[in-house]
Amino acid sequence: MKNLRKTFANDTWVMPYLRKYKGLLILVLFLGFMTFFSGGALMFNSGYLISEAARQPSSIIYIYVPVVLARAFGIARPVFRYVERLTSHNWVLRIVSDFRKKLYQTVEQKASAIQRSHQTGDILSILADDIEHIENLYLRTVFPMVIGWLLYIFVVIGVGSLNWVVGILMLLLLGIITIVMPLASVATNGVREFKQHQIQHEFYTNLTDEVLGLGDWLISGRYNDFIDLQKKPIKEIAALRKQDHYFQWWRSFFVQFIILLTTLVLLIWSANQFTATKSLANWVAAFALAIFPAVSPFVNMSQGASEWPVYRRSIERVNALDSGTGKTVEQTSLTEPFKELAINDLTFKYSDGERNVVKHISMDIHPGEKVALLGPSGTGKSTFLKLIVGDLTPTDGQVLVNDKNILNLQDVRSSLFGILDQQPYLFDTTVMNNVRLGNVNATDQQVKDAIAAVGLKDLIESLPDKYDTQVQEAGKRFSGGERQRLSLARILLQDAPIIILDEPTVSLDPITEKKLLDKVFELLHDKTIIWVTHHLAGIAHVDQVRFMENGEFDMQGTPQELYKSQARFRQLYDLDRGRV
Amino acid sequence: MIDKRLFDLPGMKKYAAILGILVFIQAIAIIAQARALSIAIVNLWNLQSINTIVGPTIVFTVAFLARHLLTVTENRFLFPFVEKTSGDMREDLMAKIFRLGPAEIDKRGTGNIVTMALEGIDQVQTYLMLVIIKILDMSITPWLILLYVLFLRWEQAIFLFAIFPIIILFMIILGLAAQSKADRQYEGYQRLSNHFVDTLRGLPTLKQLGLSKRYADNVYEVSESYRKETMSTLKIALTSTFALDFFTTLSIAVVAVFLGFDLMDGKVMLLPALTILVLAPEYFLPIRNFANDYHATLNGKNAMSAVLDVLHEPEMTEREVLPDLKWNNDSTLKLNQVSLTYPDTKEPTLKDISIDIKGMKKIGIIGASGSGKSTLINLIGGFLSPDSHDSITINGQTVPHLNQANWQKNFLYIPQNPYLFHATLADNISFYVADATEAAITNAADKAGLTDWIKTLPDGLNTMIGEGARTVSGGQAQRIALARAFLDPNRKVLLFDEPTAHLDIETEASLKKDILPVFNDHLVFFATHRLHWIGEMDYVLVMDHGRLVEQGTPDELAKRNGDYVKLRAEMEAADL
Repeated sequence: MKNLRKTFANDTWVMPYLRKYKGLLILVLFLGFMTFFSGGALMFNSGYLISEAARQPSSIIYIYVPVVLARAFGIARPVFRYVERLTSHNWVLRIVSDFRKKLYQTVEQKASAIQRSHQTGDILSILADDIEHIENLYLRTVFPMVIGWLLYIFVVIGVGSLNWVVGILMLLLLGIITIVMPLASVATNGVREFKQHQIQHEFYTNLTDEVLGLGDWLISGRYNDFIDLQKKPIKEIAALRKQDHYFQWWRSFFVQFIILLTTLVLLIWSANQFTATKSLANWVAAFALAIFPAVSPFVNMSQGASEWPVYRRSIERVNALDSGTGKTVEQTSLTEPFKELAINDLTFKYSDGERNVVKHISMDIHPGEKVALLGPSGTGKSTFLKLIVGDLTPTDGQVLVNDKNILNLQDVRSSLFGILDQQPYLFDTTVMNNVRLGNVNATDQQVKDAIAAVGLKDLIESLPDKYDTQVQEAGKRFSGGERQRLSLARILLQDAPIIILDEPTVSLDPITEKKLLDKVFELLHDKTIIWVTHHLAGIAHVDQVRFMENGEFDMQGTPQELYKSQARFRQLYDLDRGRV
Repeated sequence: MIDKRLFDLPGMKKYAAILGILVFIQAIAIIAQARALSIAIVNLWNLQSINTIVGPTIVFTVAFLARHLLTVTENRFLFPFVEKTSGDMREDLMAKIFRLGPAEIDKRGTGNIVTMALEGIDQVQTYLMLVIIKILDMSITPWLILLYVLFLRWEQAIFLFAIFPIIILFMIILGLAAQSKADRQYEGYQRLSNHFVDTLRGLPTLKQLGLSKRYADNVYEVSESYRKETMSTLKIALTSTFALDFFTTLSIAVVAVFLGFDLMDGKVMLLPALTILVLAPEYFLPIRNFANDYHATLNGKNAMSAVLDVLHEPEMTEREVLPDLKWNNDSTLKLNQVSLTYPDTKEPTLKDISIDIKGMKKIGIIGASGSGKSTLINLIGGFLSPDSHDSITINGQTVPHLNQANWQKNFLYIPQNPYLFHATLADNISFYVADATEAAITNAADKAGLTDWIKTLPDGLNTMIGEGARTVSGGQAQRIALARAFLDPNRKVLLFDEPTAHLDIETEASLKKDILPVFNDHLVFFATHRLHWIGEMDYVLVMDHGRLVEQGTPDELAKRNGDYVKLRAEMEAADL
């Protein structure tokens, strides 16, 4: 219970939507209740019907009402059930639409435009799964539980109004299977679920490790070690599953045992209550037959409840996302064209880091200048880029565009910076739609011109669907070089004055790399370019090279100067050209 | 719903037979329970004293308990079998993964394989638990009940018997209609549900383009149109369950009404009529249970089919053709017109490759992307099998492929991103040499240029690295792979597949200094884009579109003015 309250204490994902779609929710619960009610009523009515008929009344009129009711309930039950299932799915899917928008907006606030890998994609898939879990929480736990309780209350009050002692007995007996056992299941399963999660996690990590390193395992010939490594978690999982199964079987048996007691109580009660007259005795069969369909929804309540720990993890994870939304900074815009990008004494330390990742960097960049930034991985190049575009707030110093702080220009950022990174993302739609993202107001002709400018006209027009070709998931219809070119076309349409190239050629072969770089610098000759690169191919395109080491610049100048004056640069350059 | 291979599982027939007997006894308990309850009710209906129902109530209680205890017994009896079957399946799968090797994993995806071994096998277990008992229940219980009803009153038995095929027929007709509609929409569905993950993954790009805020509404709209489409399909898809529900419930109502009329006419007594009415829901229960668990069993069935498919995947056999081998200066490796075609493509990826290698040499492999460099390295490593089985010879011995245990003992493979295991640094270095001493490991790490870095680590060589532990940069990962080569003097063949492609030029320059010494006294295959490595090679293979277009020493090739010269010119940047 305490856990439950803790989970929902700062909940923004479950409760608000229960309130928002209250009307539909009540409808779902009503339909669910009516389904089971009709099922019980059918048997109740049928029991009465044949008991009455067996008295051989003089006229058919005596059983006319039960005959009509039998047919009515017989049809009502499946109809209610059908409508209930449709309504509940509709309700859940509505919520999913809201969830998706909300999750998107939450993630959007934290996303950075500078990104080195799509590894975070896996985290996003987990979040997408969490939403599905919450979907199931409603369909498999919340709805059946609430409907079960409604029915429980109905039975207790119904019987209690005839005889309060039996009513209290029902309250206690059925309370065991609708309240006590679900709670017990949550408690037992919570512990087991936690353990299972750990073991599965271990198995999953080990197995991924083994599969990814399979080449090494194979060559090393260590077959037995490979197999042995998984023996322990496999055994543990098996033991746990066994426990879980045994628990479930005996729990179901116990539920049935309580149902038996309930039936016996009702039987003995009706033996006392309804045996005064013949017409009263007709009710005996009615009650006895109704009991089984009426309690059928109680049978699965414990199982639904025991899934709760899985859902709780998901709910807590998505709720954790919300905490810590950043403060808003006042936004302004530029009235005049870009004149200067000034970086003043820029310093940055991650809040959980120990040392400064960027240390007192200052530089000015003017329209049309082209700067290359080099250095080993981990020296702070991408942090530096994030600071420039304003994805991170500097610990000290500032980035100014025309004397205005970049942090105040976030709303107009896309009119200032165009970014081409290592793996530009293509969305799973057409070529045309993807390129048009650069400028959503561009005409078809402008999009085609941009594609022609990056040299893809012939390729695209040779495809059967031409510009309407689907790029497929993550753009895999096209090669790495082609994807870069399509993104470049997007940037051409975007037409921002400053272009950031974040190692765009890292996964390309040298021939493709050379062609792409030639194209980039040819098309963007009038733009300001900040280019992070890991080697020296195409370095002749820039007029300034800076080497970054431990968050600082250590070697800088034009490539020509550096080649003449710096032995280290000369050596690296010759190495890159294959002259050494 | 039922995979035919289910019945081929070892021991299945014996278990099915015993379970059949248990289900049979259970069906008798169900009938006894209904009968005893009816007797008790009829006695009360006749206004007899409460003492007259004591006997029937006891029978009812015993039968009821027996019925549910039998459910537990059936499950407990079956479980060891299911546990063993699924456990064996999991172990077989692991062994199979090992034998199939990395090429197969690439094809199926690491995630798929891991999920299959973990969740897939769990689903198989659930499936086996559910499906065997349910099938038996459906094929025994209703018929026994029907037989009993027939004995009580044949008219109702015939009605119940006749309604059964009608239910199944309607379920099939409606099920098929729903299926074809669902199939038509499935592709669209997939796209819509992927759209969300697609959008999340592309968020940085949307942010770069200044569109990220506006896209929130798009996410909502797409999701809503997905909802509408889903609902229209569900309306039909759920009709199949509706039909089952409708016919079974209505049948009970009809039985009740007809019994009512017959009772009025005195054609039947209350006891048999009540017994039939109590048994009617039990008659339909097995098929309803079967339909309710349809989706759970469907997932399980698909999971089992997927696992069995992997287990039946053909694998490279004849791994022991090559006798004991220790690569030395006189050893030879000959490729004679080797071609390689991937299973799902028509065009061969490698065409007529012929190479003749003797002793220790440094062999560079160059070519544009897609020219077949990596495929050639994978062929030499034995991860891929050539099209014909007589085109490779080692020391004069013809082998069908290079996935030879004795060949694999002779080489090390160093790819672009060497895989680091979640283990200590020392364990990673000594992965190939189980009995390496700490001194030997330290020495190898030193030769690979790792000493300075190790000093900065909290636990030195005993620091945990790999996934979820300390991250290791690309340059250091290469050095760890290099240390493996230094540690194992018995592996004389080194396969490099673009080891420096992802490294920055400074890291590459310093790594090169440490790599060069290991080249001595080894047979080296070195696939690369970077031109400066060519100068270190004795022999160069130039690949183009899967063909070996030129081979020779760098000097020879430079003079020939052919593909090699052309390729170099294309790769070189303009001078400063």
